[in-house]
Amino acid sequence: MREIKVLIAQLSTKLGDVRGNEKKILKAIEMAKREKVHLLLTPELSTLGYGSGDIYLDKVNENLESLERIKKEIDNFYAIIGYVEKDEYGFFYNSACLIHKGKITGNYRKVQLVNYRLFDEKRYFKRGTKLPVFDIGKAKIGILICEDVWFPEPSRAMALRGADVLIVLGASPFERGKKEIWEDFLTQRARDNILPLLFCDQAGCQDGVTYLGYSMYVSASGNVVKTAKLLEEDYFIVNVDLEEAKRLRRRDTRLRELHRDILEELLKAYEEMENGGSGI
Amino acid sequence: MVEVEFKKEELSLIRDAIINSIKTRVEKFGFKGAVINLSGGVDSSLVLKLTYMALGSKRTHALILPEEGITSEKDLKDAEGLCKELKINYEIIPINKPLDSFKETLSFIKGDLKWGIANLKPRIRMIYAYFYANAKKLLVVGTSNKTELLLGYGTKYGDLGADIYPIGDLYKTQVWQLAEFISIPTDIVKKTPSAGLWKGQTDEEELGYTYYQIDRVLYCLVDLELSVRETAKILKIKENAVKDLYERIIRNEHKRRTPTITKISRMCLDKDWRYPVERF
Repeated sequence: MREIKVLIAQLSTKLGDVRGNEKKILKAIEMAKREKVHLLLTPELSTLGYGSGDIYLDKVNENLESLERIKKEIDNFYAIIGYVEKDEYGFFYNSACLIHKGKITGNYRKVQLVNYRLFDEKRYFKRGTKLPVFDIGKAKIGILICEDVWFPEPSRAMALRGADVLIVLGASPFERGKKEIWEDFLTQRARDNILPLLFCDQAGCQDGVTYLGYSMYVSASGNVVKTAKLLEEDYFIVNVDLEEAKRLRRRDTRLRELHRDILEELLKAYEEMENGGSGI
Repeated sequence: MVEVEFKKEELSLIRDAIINSIKTRVEKFGFKGAVINLSGGVDSSLVLKLTYMALGSKRTHALILPEEGITSEKDLKDAEGLCKELKINYEIIPINKPLDSFKETLSFIKGDLKWGIANLKPRIRMIYAYFYANAKKLLVVGTSNKTELLLGYGTKYGDLGADIYPIGDLYKTQVWQLAEFISIPTDIVKKTPSAGLWKGQTDEEELGYTYYQIDRVLYCLVDLELSVRETAKILKIKENAVKDLYERIIRNEHKRRTPTITKISRMCLDKDWRYPVERF
Protein backbone atom coordinates (compact mmCIF):
# COMPACT_ATOMS: atom_id res chain seq x y z
CA MET A 1 0.00 0.00 0.00
CA ARG A 2 1.27 3.45 -0.89
CA GLU A 3 1.55 5.50 2.27
CA ILE A 4 3.70 8.10 3.99
CA LYS A 5 4.82 8.07 7.58
CA VAL A 6 4.26 11.41 9.28
CA LEU A 7 5.18 12.74 12.72
CA ILE A 8 2.78 15.35 14.05
CA ALA A 9 4.48 17.40 16.78
CA GLN A 10 1.72 19.04 18.78
CA LEU A 11 3.99 21.46 20.59
CA SER A 12 3.26 23.64 23.55
CA THR A 13 5.29 26.63 22.39
CA LYS A 14 6.00 29.64 24.60
CA LEU A 15 5.22 33.22 23.63
CA GLY A 16 8.32 34.85 22.18
CA ASP A 17 10.62 32.15 23.53
CA VAL A 18 12.50 31.55 20.28
CA ARG A 19 15.30 29.50 21.87
CA GLY A 20 12.94 27.39 23.95
CA ASN A 21 10.65 26.75 21.00
CA GLU A 22 13.66 25.87 18.87
CA LYS A 23 14.65 23.24 21.42
CA LYS A 24 11.21 21.70 21.16
CA ILE A 25 11.33 21.70 17.36
CA LEU A 26 14.82 20.13 17.42
CA LYS A 27 13.54 17.45 19.77
CA ALA A 28 10.77 16.71 17.28
CA ILE A 29 13.38 16.54 14.50
CA GLU A 30 15.39 14.01 16.53
CA MET A 31 12.25 11.94 16.95
CA ALA A 32 11.49 12.21 13.22
CA LYS A 33 14.96 10.85 12.43
CA ARG A 34 14.70 8.07 14.98
CA GLU A 35 11.30 7.01 13.72
CA LYS A 36 12.37 7.36 10.09
CA VAL A 37 9.33 9.40 9.12
CA HIS A 38 8.95 10.94 5.70
CA LEU A 39 7.36 14.17 6.95
CA LEU A 40 7.37 16.18 10.18
CA LEU A 41 4.80 18.84 11.05
CA THR A 42 4.95 21.61 13.67
CA PRO A 43 2.10 24.02 14.56
CA GLU A 44 1.38 27.46 13.12
CA LEU A 45 4.03 30.08 14.04
CA SER A 46 5.84 27.50 16.12
CA THR A 47 9.16 29.39 16.27
CA LEU A 48 7.56 32.32 18.12
CA GLY A 49 4.41 30.81 19.58
CA TYR A 50 0.91 31.84 18.59
CA GLY A 51 -0.54 34.79 20.51
CA SER A 52 2.75 36.65 20.89
CA GLY A 53 1.28 40.07 20.15
CA ASP A 54 3.79 42.78 19.35
CA ILE A 55 6.63 40.33 20.03
CA TYR A 56 6.11 39.21 16.43
CA LEU A 57 7.43 42.62 15.37
CA ASP A 58 10.39 42.52 17.74
CA LYS A 59 11.65 39.01 17.21
CA VAL A 60 11.24 38.34 13.51
CA ASN A 61 14.97 38.28 12.87
CA GLU A 62 15.56 36.05 15.86
CA ASN A 63 12.92 33.67 14.50
CA LEU A 64 14.61 33.66 11.08
CA GLU A 65 17.99 32.91 12.62
CA SER A 66 16.39 30.08 14.54
CA LEU A 67 14.92 28.72 11.33
CA GLU A 68 18.42 28.71 9.81
CA ARG A 69 19.65 26.50 12.66
CA ILE A 70 16.58 24.26 12.45
CA LYS A 71 17.02 23.88 8.69
CA LYS A 72 20.49 22.36 9.07
CA GLU A 73 19.15 19.53 11.21
CA ILE A 74 16.68 18.31 8.62
CA ASP A 75 18.29 15.68 6.42
CA ASN A 76 16.59 13.10 4.26
CA PHE A 77 13.06 13.68 5.35
CA TYR A 78 10.73 16.66 4.89
CA ALA A 79 9.60 19.09 7.59
CA ILE A 80 6.97 21.81 7.60
CA ILE A 81 7.70 24.52 10.15
CA GLY A 82 5.37 27.39 11.05
CA TYR A 83 7.29 30.69 11.33
CA VAL A 84 7.17 34.43 10.67
CA GLU A 85 8.47 35.25 7.20
CA LYS A 86 9.91 38.64 6.23
CA ASP A 87 9.90 39.69 2.58
CA GLU A 88 12.23 42.03 0.74
CA TYR A 89 9.96 45.00 1.49
CA GLY A 90 10.10 44.26 5.21
CA PHE A 91 6.54 42.90 5.39
CA PHE A 92 5.72 39.91 7.58
CA TYR A 93 3.71 36.80 6.79
CA ASN A 94 2.25 34.00 8.87
CA SER A 95 4.04 31.30 6.88
CA ALA A 96 5.00 27.65 6.77
CA CYS A 97 8.13 26.48 5.04
CA LEU A 98 8.92 23.09 3.63
CA ILE A 99 12.45 21.97 4.39
CA HIS A 100 14.36 19.06 2.89
CA LYS A 101 18.05 18.17 3.08
CA GLY A 102 18.89 21.42 4.87
CA LYS A 103 17.17 23.61 2.29
CA ILE A 104 13.86 25.42 2.07
CA THR A 105 12.15 23.78 -0.88
CA GLY A 106 8.78 25.46 -0.53
CA ASN A 107 7.00 28.23 1.29
CA TYR A 108 3.34 28.95 1.97
CA ARG A 109 1.79 32.17 3.27
CA LYS A 110 -1.49 32.06 5.18
CA VAL A 111 -4.21 33.45 2.92
CA GLN A 112 -7.06 33.89 5.41
CA LEU A 113 -5.74 36.06 8.22
CA VAL A 114 -7.96 36.14 11.30
CA ASN A 115 -9.01 39.40 12.88
CA TYR A 116 -12.11 38.80 14.95
CA ARG A 117 -12.52 38.51 18.71
CA LEU A 118 -9.13 37.72 20.28
CA PHE A 119 -7.39 37.41 16.90
CA ASP A 120 -5.32 40.26 15.56
CA GLU A 121 -3.26 38.86 12.69
CA LYS A 122 -3.73 41.78 10.31
CA ARG A 123 -1.93 43.99 12.82
CA TYR A 124 1.24 42.05 12.03
CA PHE A 125 0.95 40.09 8.83
CA LYS A 126 0.37 40.55 5.14
CA ARG A 127 -1.76 37.83 3.61
CA GLY A 128 -0.55 35.32 1.07
CA THR A 129 -2.27 35.01 -2.30
CA LYS A 130 -0.91 31.76 -3.68
CA LEU A 131 -2.29 28.26 -3.28
CA PRO A 132 0.49 25.97 -4.51
CA VAL A 133 1.13 22.28 -4.02
CA PHE A 134 4.56 20.95 -3.10
CA ASP A 135 6.34 17.78 -4.07
CA ILE A 136 7.67 15.73 -1.18
CA GLY A 137 8.85 12.81 -3.25
CA LYS A 138 6.28 10.22 -2.34
CA ALA A 139 3.36 12.63 -2.67
CA LYS A 140 2.18 16.12 -3.53
CA ILE A 141 0.94 18.14 -0.60
CA GLY A 142 -1.09 21.27 -0.07
CA ILE A 143 -0.28 23.32 3.03
CA LEU A 144 -2.95 25.37 4.80
CA ILE A 145 -2.69 27.44 7.95
CA CYS A 146 -5.54 27.29 10.45
CA GLU A 147 -8.33 29.62 9.22
CA ASP A 148 -7.46 28.71 5.62
CA VAL A 149 -9.24 25.42 6.14
CA TRP A 150 -12.41 27.09 7.45
CA PHE A 151 -12.99 28.21 3.87
CA PRO A 152 -13.72 25.66 1.15
CA GLU A 153 -11.76 27.46 -1.60
CA PRO A 154 -8.04 27.22 -0.67
CA SER A 155 -8.00 23.46 -0.21
CA ARG A 156 -10.10 23.06 -3.34
CA ALA A 157 -7.46 24.84 -5.42
CA MET A 158 -4.82 22.52 -3.98
CA ALA A 159 -6.93 19.48 -4.75
CA LEU A 160 -7.31 20.68 -8.33
CA ARG A 161 -3.54 21.14 -8.51
CA GLY A 162 -3.13 17.47 -7.73
CA ALA A 163 -2.46 17.39 -3.99
CA ASP A 164 -2.44 13.88 -2.50
CA VAL A 165 -2.62 15.09 1.09
CA LEU A 166 -3.82 18.28 2.78
CA ILE A 167 -1.67 19.56 5.64
CA VAL A 168 -3.13 22.02 8.13
CA LEU A 169 -0.96 23.80 10.71
CA GLY A 170 -2.98 25.42 13.46
CA ALA A 171 -2.97 27.26 16.78
CA SER A 172 -6.54 27.09 17.92
CA PRO A 173 -7.59 28.66 21.23
CA PHE A 174 -9.72 26.29 23.28
CA GLU A 175 -13.27 27.34 24.02
CA ARG A 176 -16.58 25.52 24.47
CA GLY A 177 -17.52 23.61 21.34
CA LYS A 178 -14.19 24.16 19.58
CA LYS A 179 -13.32 20.47 19.42
CA GLU A 180 -16.51 19.73 17.51
CA ILE A 181 -16.01 22.72 15.20
CA TRP A 182 -12.59 21.43 14.18
CA GLU A 183 -13.88 17.92 13.67
CA ASP A 184 -16.59 19.31 11.40
CA PHE A 185 -14.34 21.56 9.34
CA LEU A 186 -11.54 19.04 8.92
CA THR A 187 -13.72 16.08 8.03
CA GLN A 188 -15.71 18.28 5.66
CA ARG A 189 -12.59 19.50 3.83
CA ALA A 190 -11.34 15.93 3.49
CA ARG A 191 -14.74 14.96 2.08
CA ASP A 192 -14.99 18.03 -0.17
CA ASN A 193 -11.74 17.17 -1.87
CA ILE A 194 -11.65 13.40 -1.35
CA LEU A 195 -8.23 13.73 0.21
CA PRO A 196 -6.58 12.65 3.46
CA LEU A 197 -5.87 15.53 5.83
CA LEU A 198 -3.40 16.05 8.66
CA PHE A 199 -3.90 18.70 11.32
CA CYS A 200 -1.04 19.79 13.59
CA ASP A 201 -2.22 22.13 16.33
CA GLN A 202 -0.59 24.06 19.18
CA ALA A 203 -1.18 22.93 22.77
CA GLY A 204 -0.53 24.34 26.23
CA CYS A 205 -1.73 27.47 27.97
CA GLN A 206 -0.42 31.01 28.13
CA ASP A 207 -1.90 34.36 29.05
CA GLY A 208 -5.12 32.63 29.99
CA VAL A 209 -5.56 31.07 26.55
CA THR A 210 -5.37 27.30 26.34
CA TYR A 211 -4.70 25.84 22.92
CA LEU A 212 -6.86 22.96 21.85
CA GLY A 213 -4.29 20.42 20.71
CA TYR A 214 -6.39 17.64 19.24
CA SER A 215 -4.23 17.30 16.13
CA MET A 216 -5.64 14.63 13.87
CA TYR A 217 -5.47 12.44 10.84
CA VAL A 218 -8.64 12.41 8.76
CA SER A 219 -8.95 9.83 5.99
CA ALA A 220 -9.98 10.68 2.43
CA SER A 221 -13.43 9.31 3.25
CA GLY A 222 -13.73 11.91 6.00
CA ASN A 223 -13.26 9.69 9.03
CA VAL A 224 -11.21 10.79 12.01
CA VAL A 225 -8.59 8.04 12.15
CA LYS A 226 -6.39 9.25 15.00
CA THR A 227 -6.32 12.23 17.32
CA ALA A 228 -3.71 13.65 19.68
CA LYS A 229 -4.37 14.66 23.27
CA LEU A 230 -6.55 17.62 24.07
CA LEU A 231 -4.77 20.71 25.50
CA GLU A 232 -1.43 18.98 26.18
CA GLU A 233 1.77 18.63 24.22
CA ASP A 234 1.75 15.38 22.28
CA TYR A 235 3.57 13.66 19.45
CA PHE A 236 2.03 11.11 17.19
CA ILE A 237 2.95 9.15 14.14
CA VAL A 238 0.54 8.18 11.41
CA ASN A 239 0.82 6.24 8.21
CA VAL A 240 -1.22 8.20 5.72
CA ASP A 241 -3.01 6.10 3.14
CA LEU A 242 -2.42 7.65 -0.29
CA GLU A 243 -4.45 5.09 -2.20
CA GLU A 244 -7.85 5.52 -0.60
CA ALA A 245 -8.45 8.85 -2.34
CA LYS A 246 -7.77 7.34 -5.76
CA ARG A 247 -9.97 4.38 -4.94
CA LEU A 248 -12.82 6.62 -3.79
CA ARG A 249 -12.53 8.87 -6.82
CA ARG A 250 -13.38 5.99 -9.15
CA ARG A 251 -17.01 6.38 -8.22
CA ASP A 252 -17.05 9.64 -6.27
CA THR A 253 -16.83 11.95 -9.27
CA ARG A 254 -17.41 15.26 -7.49
CA LEU A 255 -13.97 16.67 -8.12
CA ARG A 256 -14.06 16.14 -11.89
CA GLU A 257 -17.68 17.25 -11.99
CA LEU A 258 -16.69 20.73 -10.88
CA HIS A 259 -17.55 23.05 -13.79
CA ARG A 260 -16.00 26.20 -15.13
CA ASP A 261 -19.39 27.93 -15.45
CA ILE A 262 -20.06 27.34 -11.76
CA LEU A 263 -16.69 28.83 -10.84
CA GLU A 264 -17.36 31.79 -13.14
CA GLU A 265 -20.72 32.30 -11.48
CA LEU A 266 -18.99 32.14 -8.10
CA LEU A 267 -16.56 34.83 -9.19
CA LYS A 268 -19.39 37.01 -10.53
CA ALA A 269 -21.31 36.60 -7.27
CA TYR A 270 -18.18 37.50 -5.35
CA GLU A 271 -17.70 40.65 -7.42
CA GLU A 272 -21.31 41.67 -6.82
CA MET A 273 -20.74 41.29 -3.08
CA GLU A 274 -17.45 43.18 -3.27
CA ASN A 275 -19.25 46.04 -4.99
CA GLY A 276 -21.78 46.29 -2.19
CA GLY A 277 -24.48 44.09 -3.69
CA SER A 278 -27.58 45.55 -5.25
CA GLY A 279 -27.43 48.55 -2.91
CA ILE A 280 -25.07 50.36 -5.27
CA MET B 1 -34.20 26.83 25.42
CA VAL B 2 -31.27 28.74 26.82
CA GLU B 3 -28.83 26.52 28.66
CA VAL B 4 -26.01 28.17 30.52
CA GLU B 5 -24.97 24.93 32.17
CA PHE B 6 -22.09 22.89 30.83
CA LYS B 7 -22.71 19.51 29.35
CA LYS B 8 -21.27 16.80 31.57
CA GLU B 9 -18.65 15.80 29.02
CA GLU B 10 -17.30 19.36 28.87
CA LEU B 11 -16.39 19.60 32.54
CA SER B 12 -13.08 17.75 32.58
CA LEU B 13 -11.71 19.85 29.73
CA ILE B 14 -12.77 23.09 31.40
CA ARG B 15 -11.20 21.95 34.66
CA ASP B 16 -7.94 21.12 32.84
CA ALA B 17 -7.81 24.44 31.00
CA ILE B 18 -8.13 26.31 34.31
CA ILE B 19 -5.55 24.14 36.05
CA ASN B 20 -3.11 24.68 33.15
CA SER B 21 -3.53 28.43 33.28
CA ILE B 22 -2.76 28.63 37.00
CA LYS B 23 0.25 26.36 36.68
CA THR B 24 1.67 28.25 33.69
CA ARG B 25 1.43 31.63 35.40
CA VAL B 26 3.06 30.44 38.63
CA GLU B 27 5.89 28.73 36.78
CA LYS B 28 6.41 31.50 34.22
CA PHE B 29 7.13 34.09 36.90
CA GLY B 30 8.95 31.72 39.21
CA PHE B 31 6.46 32.04 42.06
CA LYS B 32 6.78 29.50 44.84
CA GLY B 33 3.06 28.93 44.86
CA ALA B 34 -0.24 30.76 45.11
CA VAL B 35 -2.48 32.26 47.78
CA ILE B 36 -6.26 32.51 47.82
CA ASN B 37 -8.49 34.43 50.19
CA LEU B 38 -10.88 31.73 51.29
CA SER B 39 -14.32 32.71 52.56
CA GLY B 40 -15.96 29.33 52.81
CA GLY B 41 -18.15 30.19 49.83
CA VAL B 42 -18.27 28.26 46.60
CA ASP B 43 -16.14 30.57 44.40
CA SER B 44 -13.07 30.71 46.61
CA SER B 45 -13.43 27.02 47.52
CA LEU B 46 -13.51 26.10 43.83
CA VAL B 47 -10.50 28.30 43.05
CA LEU B 48 -8.62 26.88 46.03
CA LYS B 49 -9.16 23.32 44.91
CA LEU B 50 -8.27 24.06 41.28
CA THR B 51 -5.08 25.75 42.49
CA TYR B 52 -4.34 22.76 44.66
CA MET B 53 -4.88 20.51 41.62
CA ALA B 54 -2.47 22.69 39.61
CA LEU B 55 0.26 23.12 42.21
CA GLY B 56 -0.19 20.48 44.91
CA SER B 57 -0.75 21.00 48.63
CA LYS B 58 2.68 22.42 49.50
CA ARG B 59 2.48 25.27 47.02
CA THR B 60 -1.15 26.18 47.78
CA HIS B 61 -1.91 28.68 50.54
CA ALA B 62 -5.20 30.00 51.87
CA LEU B 63 -5.95 32.99 54.03
CA ILE B 64 -9.17 32.82 56.01
CA LEU B 65 -9.98 36.38 57.00
CA PRO B 66 -13.21 36.49 59.00
CA GLU B 67 -14.83 39.55 60.44
CA GLU B 68 -15.77 38.48 63.90
CA GLY B 69 -19.42 39.17 64.55
CA ILE B 70 -20.26 39.16 60.84
CA THR B 71 -18.67 36.06 59.30
CA SER B 72 -20.71 33.00 60.19
CA GLU B 73 -19.25 30.11 62.18
CA LYS B 74 -20.39 27.85 59.38
CA ASP B 75 -18.32 29.70 56.76
CA LEU B 76 -15.28 29.62 59.00
CA LYS B 77 -15.71 25.92 59.69
CA ASP B 78 -16.23 25.08 56.00
CA ALA B 79 -13.17 27.10 54.95
CA GLU B 80 -10.95 25.50 57.55
CA GLY B 81 -12.37 22.07 56.80
CA LEU B 82 -11.45 22.37 53.13
CA CYS B 83 -7.87 23.45 53.96
CA LYS B 84 -7.50 20.47 56.26
CA GLU B 85 -8.97 18.10 53.71
CA LEU B 86 -6.52 19.29 51.03
CA LYS B 87 -3.66 19.51 53.55
CA ILE B 88 -2.73 22.98 52.33
CA ASN B 89 -1.11 25.82 54.28
CA TYR B 90 -3.57 28.25 55.86
CA GLU B 91 -3.84 31.06 58.35
CA ILE B 92 -6.90 32.45 60.10
CA ILE B 93 -6.61 36.20 60.72
CA PRO B 94 -9.66 38.21 61.84
CA ILE B 95 -9.85 41.60 60.14
CA ASN B 96 -11.62 43.41 63.00
CA LYS B 97 -8.58 45.29 64.28
CA PRO B 98 -7.55 46.99 61.04
CA LEU B 99 -11.20 47.53 60.19
CA ASP B 100 -11.89 49.25 63.50
CA SER B 101 -8.75 51.29 63.13
CA PHE B 102 -9.79 52.48 59.66
CA LYS B 103 -13.30 53.28 60.88
CA GLU B 104 -11.93 55.23 63.81
CA THR B 105 -9.44 57.28 61.83
CA LEU B 106 -11.96 57.93 59.05
CA SER B 107 -14.89 58.82 61.29
CA PHE B 108 -14.39 62.56 60.83
CA ILE B 109 -15.25 62.24 57.15
CA LYS B 110 -18.80 63.44 56.49
CA GLY B 111 -21.06 61.80 53.96
CA ASP B 112 -22.54 58.41 53.21
CA LEU B 113 -20.02 55.98 54.69
CA LYS B 114 -22.00 52.77 54.14
CA TRP B 115 -20.33 51.71 50.90
CA GLY B 116 -16.92 53.00 51.81
CA ILE B 117 -16.99 50.89 54.94
CA ALA B 118 -18.44 47.85 53.17
CA ASN B 119 -15.64 48.11 50.62
CA LEU B 120 -13.00 48.44 53.31
CA LYS B 121 -13.48 44.79 54.19
CA PRO B 122 -12.51 43.21 50.86
CA ARG B 123 -9.79 45.84 50.51
CA ILE B 124 -8.28 44.88 53.84
CA ARG B 125 -8.43 41.24 52.77
CA MET B 126 -6.65 42.14 49.53
CA ILE B 127 -3.88 43.84 51.53
CA TYR B 128 -3.43 40.71 53.61
CA ALA B 129 -3.28 38.52 50.51
CA TYR B 130 -0.60 40.67 48.86
CA PHE B 131 1.35 41.00 52.10
CA TYR B 132 1.37 37.24 52.50
CA ALA B 133 2.17 36.78 48.78
CA ASN B 134 5.13 39.18 48.98
CA ALA B 135 6.46 37.45 52.08
CA LYS B 136 6.33 34.01 50.53
CA LYS B 137 6.75 34.84 46.82
CA LEU B 138 3.26 33.73 45.85
CA LEU B 139 0.76 34.58 43.14
CA VAL B 140 -2.56 36.06 44.33
CA VAL B 141 -5.37 34.12 42.72
CA GLY B 142 -8.67 35.98 42.39
CA THR B 143 -12.04 34.35 42.81
CA SER B 144 -14.32 36.58 40.72
CA ASN B 145 -16.65 34.84 38.31
CA LYS B 146 -18.17 36.03 35.02
CA THR B 147 -21.50 36.98 36.59
CA GLU B 148 -19.77 39.24 39.11
CA LEU B 149 -17.38 40.70 36.55
CA LEU B 150 -20.23 41.56 34.20
CA LEU B 151 -22.39 43.12 36.88
CA GLY B 152 -19.49 44.84 38.59
CA TYR B 153 -20.39 42.92 41.71
CA GLY B 154 -17.01 43.19 43.34
CA THR B 155 -14.81 45.77 45.01
CA LYS B 156 -12.14 47.47 42.95
CA TYR B 157 -8.78 46.78 44.60
CA GLY B 158 -10.67 44.60 47.02
CA ASP B 159 -11.79 41.12 45.99
CA LEU B 160 -11.16 42.25 42.37
CA GLY B 161 -7.54 42.88 43.27
CA ALA B 162 -5.66 39.78 42.16
CA ASP B 163 -3.14 38.56 39.60
CA ILE B 164 -5.36 36.13 37.71
CA TYR B 165 -9.06 35.25 37.52
CA PRO B 166 -9.14 31.53 36.74
CA ILE B 167 -12.94 31.31 37.00
CA GLY B 168 -13.57 34.71 35.44
CA ASP B 169 -15.13 33.13 32.35
CA LEU B 170 -17.56 30.96 34.32
CA TYR B 171 -21.06 32.11 35.26
CA LYS B 172 -22.17 31.45 38.82
CA THR B 173 -24.34 28.52 37.74
CA GLN B 174 -21.30 27.06 35.96
CA VAL B 175 -19.21 27.62 39.09
CA TRP B 176 -21.67 25.47 41.03
CA GLN B 177 -21.45 22.77 38.38
CA LEU B 178 -17.67 22.69 38.26
CA ALA B 179 -17.48 22.79 42.08
CA GLU B 180 -19.72 19.77 42.26
CA PHE B 181 -17.70 18.05 39.53
CA ILE B 182 -14.41 18.40 41.41
CA SER B 183 -16.04 17.29 44.67
CA ILE B 184 -16.20 20.50 46.67
CA PRO B 185 -18.18 19.54 49.81
CA THR B 186 -21.93 19.71 49.19
CA ASP B 187 -22.40 22.04 52.16
CA ILE B 188 -20.29 24.65 50.41
CA VAL B 189 -21.84 24.18 46.97
CA LYS B 190 -25.40 24.40 48.27
CA LYS B 191 -24.75 27.38 50.53
CA THR B 192 -26.71 30.61 49.90
CA PRO B 193 -24.26 32.96 48.16
CA SER B 194 -23.19 35.99 50.20
CA ALA B 195 -20.44 38.57 49.87
CA GLY B 196 -20.44 38.68 53.66
CA LEU B 197 -20.50 42.45 53.77
CA TRP B 198 -23.03 42.59 56.59
CA LYS B 199 -24.89 40.09 58.68
CA GLY B 200 -27.59 38.18 56.84
CA GLN B 201 -26.62 39.67 53.45
CA THR B 202 -27.33 37.48 50.43
CA ASP B 203 -26.17 38.18 46.89
CA GLU B 204 -29.48 37.36 45.30
CA GLU B 205 -31.42 39.73 47.57
CA GLU B 206 -28.93 42.49 46.92
CA LEU B 207 -28.85 41.93 43.16
CA GLY B 208 -32.63 41.68 43.02
CA TYR B 209 -32.72 38.45 41.00
CA THR B 210 -31.64 34.85 41.47
CA TYR B 211 -28.34 33.77 39.95
CA TYR B 212 -30.26 31.35 37.76
CA GLN B 213 -32.25 34.26 36.28
CA ILE B 214 -29.27 36.60 36.04
CA ASP B 215 -27.01 34.06 34.34
CA ARG B 216 -29.56 33.25 31.68
CA VAL B 217 -29.95 36.94 30.87
CA LEU B 218 -26.19 37.56 30.82
CA TYR B 219 -25.59 34.46 28.72
CA CYS B 220 -28.10 35.72 26.13
CA LEU B 221 -26.70 39.25 26.08
CA VAL B 222 -23.01 38.40 26.12
CA ASP B 223 -22.44 34.88 24.82
CA LEU B 224 -25.33 34.70 22.37
CA GLU B 225 -25.04 38.41 21.55
CA LEU B 226 -28.80 38.94 21.62
CA SER B 227 -30.37 42.37 22.07
CA VAL B 228 -32.28 43.37 25.22
CA ARG B 229 -35.57 42.86 23.39
CA GLU B 230 -34.60 39.46 21.98
CA THR B 231 -33.36 38.32 25.39
CA ALA B 232 -36.60 39.35 27.10
CA LYS B 233 -38.58 37.53 24.44
CA ILE B 234 -36.61 34.31 24.45
CA LEU B 235 -36.55 34.10 28.27
CA LYS B 236 -40.16 35.27 28.59
CA ILE B 237 -39.29 37.99 31.12
CA LYS B 238 -39.90 41.72 31.34
CA GLU B 239 -37.79 43.88 29.05
CA ASN B 240 -37.09 46.31 31.89
CA ALA B 241 -35.44 43.61 33.97
CA VAL B 242 -33.11 42.74 31.08
CA LYS B 243 -32.43 46.42 30.43
CA ASP B 244 -31.51 46.86 34.07
CA LEU B 245 -28.87 44.11 33.86
CA TYR B 246 -27.65 45.29 30.45
CA GLU B 247 -27.03 48.76 31.83
CA ARG B 248 -25.12 47.30 34.74
CA ILE B 249 -22.81 45.51 32.31
CA ILE B 250 -22.11 48.72 30.41
CA ARG B 251 -21.70 50.85 33.54
CA ASN B 252 -19.15 48.48 35.02
CA GLU B 253 -16.72 48.16 32.12
CA HIS B 254 -14.20 50.14 34.21
CA LYS B 255 -14.08 47.36 36.79
CA ARG B 256 -12.84 44.94 34.16
CA ARG B 257 -10.01 47.20 33.00
CA THR B 258 -6.84 48.73 34.27
CA PRO B 259 -7.25 52.50 34.78
CA THR B 260 -7.67 54.34 31.48
CA ILE B 261 -4.49 56.09 30.38
CA THR B 262 -4.75 59.48 28.63
CA LYS B 263 -3.02 59.08 25.30
CA ILE B 264 -0.21 61.52 24.62
CA SER B 265 2.54 59.58 22.87
CA ARG B 266 2.39 57.36 19.78
CA MET B 267 2.75 54.38 22.06
CA CYS B 268 0.10 54.64 24.76
CA LEU B 269 0.48 51.62 26.99
CA ASP B 270 -3.16 50.56 27.27
CA LYS B 271 -4.03 51.32 23.65
CA ASP B 272 -1.19 50.98 21.19
CA TRP B 273 1.15 48.63 23.00
CA ARG B 274 0.06 45.02 22.85
CA TYR B 275 2.18 42.46 24.62
CA PRO B 276 1.16 39.29 26.40
CA VAL B 277 1.73 39.19 30.16
CA GLU B 278 3.22 35.72 30.05
CA ARG B 279 5.91 36.56 27.51
CA PHE B 280 9.35 35.03 27.48
